[in-house]
Amino acid sequence: MSTVGEAAVPAASRRPSARRGARTARQILVKVVSAVLVLVAAASVTFFAQLLVPGNRATAILNEQTGRAQLWTPAQLAPVNREFGFDKPLIVQYLNYVGGLFHGNLGTSYTQYRPVTQVIGAELMPSLELTGAALVAAWVLALAVILLTAKRGRFVTALGSTWEALTASLPTYWVGVVLLVVFAVEIRIFPVIGGTSAWGTVLPVLTLAIPLAGFLGQVTRDEFEKVLDQPFITTARTRGMGDTAVRLKHALRHSVLPAITLSGWAMGALISGAVIAENVYGRPGIGQVLVNAVNTRDVPTVSGIVLVVAGVYVIANLLVDIAYALVDPRLRAS
Amino acid sequence: MSSISFPRAGALARLGNVRIRVRPGTAVPLLIVLLVTVAAVAPGVLTHRSPTAIDIEHTLLPPSLSHPFGTDDSGRDLYTRVIYGARESLGIGLGATGLAMSIALLLGFIAGLAGGLIDVLINRILEVAFAFPVLLLALLLIAIYGPSLTTEIIAVGIGSAPGYARMVRGQVLNVRKAAYVEAAAALGHSRWAVIRRHLFPNAMRPLVAMITLGVGQSIVWASGLAFLGLGVAPPSPEWGALLDSGREYITTQWWLEVMPGLVIVLVALSITSLGRTLQHRLEGAAR
Amino acid sequence: MTRSRFGPLAAAGASALILSALIAGCSSGATGATVASGGTIVQGGTIVYGHEQEPPCLYGGWLQQAYIDRNILDSLVTEANNGSIEPWLATSWTVSSNGLVYTFHLNPGVKFTDGTPLNAQAVAYNFNYWQHGGNSTAQVSMDPYYKSATALNATTVQVTLNKPYLPLLTMISQAYFGIQSPTALKRSAAANCDDPIGSGAFKVQKWIHGQEVILVRNPDYTSWPATALHKGPAIVDEVDWKFLPDPVERYESLVTGETNAIYDIPTVDWSNAEANFQVTQYVTPGKPVSIYLNTSEGIFTDVRVRQAFAYAADRKADVEAAFHGVIPYEGNPSVSRATPGYDAAVAAAYPYDPAKANQLLNEAGWTGRDAAGYRTKDGKELDVRFPYPAGSVVTSEGTSLLEILQQQWKQVGFNVQLIPETQAETFAGDYSTPNSYDAQPWYWTSPSAAILWIVWRPSTKADPNYSNSSFYNNNELSTVIQDGNTSATTAEADQYYGQAQQIIQDNAAAVGLYDQTMSIAVAKNLHDVWLEKSQGEPVFEDAYFAK
Repeated sequence: MSTVGEAAVPAASRRPSARRGARTARQILVKVVSAVLVLVAAASVTFFAQLLVPGNRATAILNEQTGRAQLWTPAQLAPVNREFGFDKPLIVQYLNYVGGLFHGNLGTSYTQYRPVTQVIGAELMPSLELTGAALVAAWVLALAVILLTAKRGRFVTALGSTWEALTASLPTYWVGVVLLVVFAVEIRIFPVIGGTSAWGTVLPVLTLAIPLAGFLGQVTRDEFEKVLDQPFITTARTRGMGDTAVRLKHALRHSVLPAITLSGWAMGALISGAVIAENVYGRPGIGQVLVNAVNTRDVPTVSGIVLVVAGVYVIANLLVDIAYALVDPRLRAS
Repeated sequence: MSSISFPRAGALARLGNVRIRVRPGTAVPLLIVLLVTVAAVAPGVLTHRSPTAIDIEHTLLPPSLSHPFGTDDSGRDLYTRVIYGARESLGIGLGATGLAMSIALLLGFIAGLAGGLIDVLINRILEVAFAFPVLLLALLLIAIYGPSLTTEIIAVGIGSAPGYARMVRGQVLNVRKAAYVEAAAALGHSRWAVIRRHLFPNAMRPLVAMITLGVGQSIVWASGLAFLGLGVAPPSPEWGALLDSGREYITTQWWLEVMPGLVIVLVALSITSLGRTLQHRLEGAAR
Repeated sequence: MTRSRFGPLAAAGASALILSALIAGCSSGATGATVASGGTIVQGGTIVYGHEQEPPCLYGGWLQQAYIDRNILDSLVTEANNGSIEPWLATSWTVSSNGLVYTFHLNPGVKFTDGTPLNAQAVAYNFNYWQHGGNSTAQVSMDPYYKSATALNATTVQVTLNKPYLPLLTMISQAYFGIQSPTALKRSAAANCDDPIGSGAFKVQKWIHGQEVILVRNPDYTSWPATALHKGPAIVDEVDWKFLPDPVERYESLVTGETNAIYDIPTVDWSNAEANFQVTQYVTPGKPVSIYLNTSEGIFTDVRVRQAFAYAADRKADVEAAFHGVIPYEGNPSVSRATPGYDAAVAAAYPYDPAKANQLLNEAGWTGRDAAGYRTKDGKELDVRFPYPAGSVVTSEGTSLLEILQQQWKQVGFNVQLIPETQAETFAGDYSTPNSYDAQPWYWTSPSAAILWIVWRPSTKADPNYSNSSFYNNNELSTVIQDGNTSATTAEADQYYGQAQQIIQDNAAAVGLYDQTMSIAVAKNLHDVWLEKSQGEPVFEDAYFAK
């Protein structure tokens, strides 16, 4: 897993390609196995953490079904305990759960009676679309601001970096509701209820992208300006390369590395952080499913969501590694 | 790095070996941070009213001279509530970042210095921590311990720790291989001295801006938790709580939502700004 | 790194100016569609309805489920606006002279949307299903009066009781008692959760979780209630029942025309809504939002302290301020003004009187004062642990109300600690035991005063009553309520119910706050959306768009 500042892997250019192939295959296998372990560990931690939440699960289920908040008699709780297997020892419940995981069975939701895979699956795609688009949009915004404003005279530079710091400090709900009121109600460009349509996703995407763009921009700007000071840039300029070309072709490539690393983390964080945007715009999403599931102590659903988010994170980081290798010539085994 | 010289306007201060000249561009964020600190430590200096003084005759008044931010739906002066909320919000920001940094320093340095199996183990733990949605962590903690200032600090702190731990570890690995560290070790300085005098300052210096960014982000994050109903109990004037209770009024009494939001933005912005300035100064001095 | 002098400040200032200009521009005026009345009826069309909360299943004992079920299930009888019981699936019925046997004659030829015939056997099956846990709210509404239900022939079903129960017909008019297809009920729990099968004007086509339920018209609908505004199947083709939890988004969606009707108008937008849309407010019958006082443990075991608590705050003025005059103050803690049998005289008790409150507290021995001004007695502080279900029962305006009250209670010497409960805590029953709170607000919906029995039945070891959240076990009260429930005439019942309300109020076992209400706002071109009397469910079977 690459991180900012980690020593660059020495090029393996002098080894025979067959051995390199085997080594790469082994590396991939190790990565896959460790990814699976990470997922199981995350789900296990979640499973047990939920049992720490005080209160009785059967009680919570009955209350959720009836909209009440009270205790129930043991006679009323017994059928619930039987139905969900709460009367079995904890270890047995845990092992059943983990065993099920390896069969692709994430369990059944306590409150919706449906398989957890269905509960999550229905609302996962809109969340992924939203967060994926938000990440892309954040990148576009961040890069645009940097390309236009880095090292271009005191005022413009300051404006750019202030813009980034400003947007990074915006509370998500605030951005969401201001965008809603201004662009969907006052000036009716976008719908208030976006649902999952493309046009209706613009405002939710912007709500998440604008603060993230500020954050990514700040991280990248420093690198970008440092790179623009490097001797090889001066060389390129003296060879007649135009300013825009210099920025795009050389400086950008070197300076985006830290932000690429952060993107892996950002993807995982965005998914659950998107709950606010989903709430404001009435979009389905697993953030809301997660909040409901924790509130109603729907243990399998919570664990299932953790698995899915962890899975997304793992895949995102795999992509980050690939992107890193593509962008940073030092890491590419030539 | 060039600087404008204001021989009369600038003030000189010493910070260890680093001289800091305060320029107007730094003055504004500094002033804001100072104001917030005063608000957190001695709110009575900035306002004579009480944050819980209800007045049902004067609810929902727009901003005016006597109520700079207007009044809320109980007739309380919003400006006063914002001032008194500084302590809790700043507390969350500093507390969460402090907690995160403590964990991060511990894990990052151990992993970076020890290497080998310990490094691998800590890396795996960080992986699992990363894979965990921070939102869930907050939800679970609050479900177990109930919503309170402490729970919020712990939730945001633990949630941000893995990210910092990664960065610290990366920096430590970087600096470990640097020439001056090897030189110091070759000169026979003790391990501790090397860590204290060379490793630590040089590893942490590039992270100063990230830390202050983190303080700002923690304040913003806490407001998100309040939105989900996981904030501190009323009648606390914590900024996130103000933001949450002002939501319904955005199209009618907009100041209830806009003012607390602006304050959060300005404060986070100023802290971040100062952090970047500080980092640039430190890096300039270190060259 | 260079920086502009006023960079941060200028940027923030400019944004603030732009923001406030844009947003303040909104406050003057949202307009909905205005259409002259008496336009031509449009056949078909889709109603987009913005509801608030999404339930975990489409059928169950929760009010959110009743809202949807009213449109897909039919009940035996319905309650008219004046409180009388009118025919629905049952065209007529007789009650035996001893009040124990109800014989219902059903409308013949009615079918469920899955083709199963809706006959007496199906109705008896449903009663049995409710009694055995199919719907715990239905069950608790019938216990301990219900004995059995049998089908005498295809169109006659007989319900037998253990004791006379005057409120029975009112209770079974609720959507909790909607009749479902026995064939469908035999499916898995998941299928019944997603797609309850009834005989109603609409059926479930699809449920996109987190977004909406799509209801489509049942073209074979023949069993409309006597209170229906038109005879025949629904006029519109489809109802998109959307879930829009954010109040700003929900209201603005109506303003922009993206929804045709919405649930629960934010009180701050009330006057705007009244100017631009058709607004209906429904005061929920049942127990209003009133404060249970823990009479079994802690400071409120002393009735004088309870009464002082009631006198100490100006609850009426505070409710009016917090809800901008939209939601009515309710001085009667046990039944709301919309409940049959409501006693208005009882509601007038405990007006704002801090002097009286102080006097009562002194009499009760709370004469000390600590540094913060709170009263003390024998070294203990007059603490009131006050948890409240934040975000569910108590809205953000409700929270403001509690904060205002808290300050007033403080002046008399009560140290009220507001404890917002998360949903997880609420559903886990964390704050339901006598050692966990001193005061707590809650409400119940019920179309009849039978709610008094559900809430105030004394709790015994053998048969605990977990709904009695004041832990108030008063046998005289119990007898009076039972007498009311088993009375032969409404007049007699109301007398007993009035006595029960008086006992509860005199002993300050609970303190009144406000009536639970709901509201809908409907666009002006959508006619004949009405609210069901028993629980305030929006009914769409008669609605139509007018050109």
